[in-house]
Amino acid sequence: MIRTRTKTCPVCEAGVRVLDYKDERALGRFLTDRGKILPSRLSGMCARHQRQLSTAIKRARQLALLPYIKGYGQ
Amino acid sequence: MTRQYEVVYIFDPALEEAAVNERLARFHGLLGGAQPTTNHWGKRTLAYSVKRKDTGYYVVDQFETEPTALPEFERAVKLEEGVLRFLVVQMEGEMPAPIPVEAAAIPAEEEDE
Repeated sequence: MIRTRTKTCPVCEAGVRVLDYKDERALGRFLTDRGKILPSRLSGMCARHQRQLSTAIKRARQLALLPYIKGYGQ
Repeated sequence: MTRQYEVVYIFDPALEEAAVNERLARFHGLLGGAQPTTNHWGKRTLAYSVKRKDTGYYVVDQFETEPTALPEFERAVKLEEGVLRFLVVQMEGEMPAPIPVEAAAIPAEEEDE
């Protein structure tokens, strides 16, 4: 991701208050190309949303909506 | 005190919809109280194989029940062979009312940098 001078939380900007673990498309934005959770230093997430994000991604992984490792076993 | 819960089941894709509904009815019977809101997502590709299956039939349930009813419910779902995987979470719902934003937001954002 490109660093900008004024970074704001992309989730706050979208007006979303609670991240949903069932929406894997929205969560997919915050994964690296191997499927790791993108650190807030790169995504610019606020602390509250970063915490929500990590819980949501981990739940989505349990439900096989998101992979634990992208590209593994293919 | 009752709580709001949400359950996502992944059923075996080989099951017919009628068979899925029959199992859901049995699970709902264990919860007592109000009928859950059920949302069928249908068949979807799994991000990785679960029990050697590459697709699953997703169903999302939302309901309100006593926490004491859950252990028995979870046990029944776990024993059901047609369920590949399931997840029970407490529904957080919307977050509590935001801090009166207009005034607070601007200084808070600047702190982030």
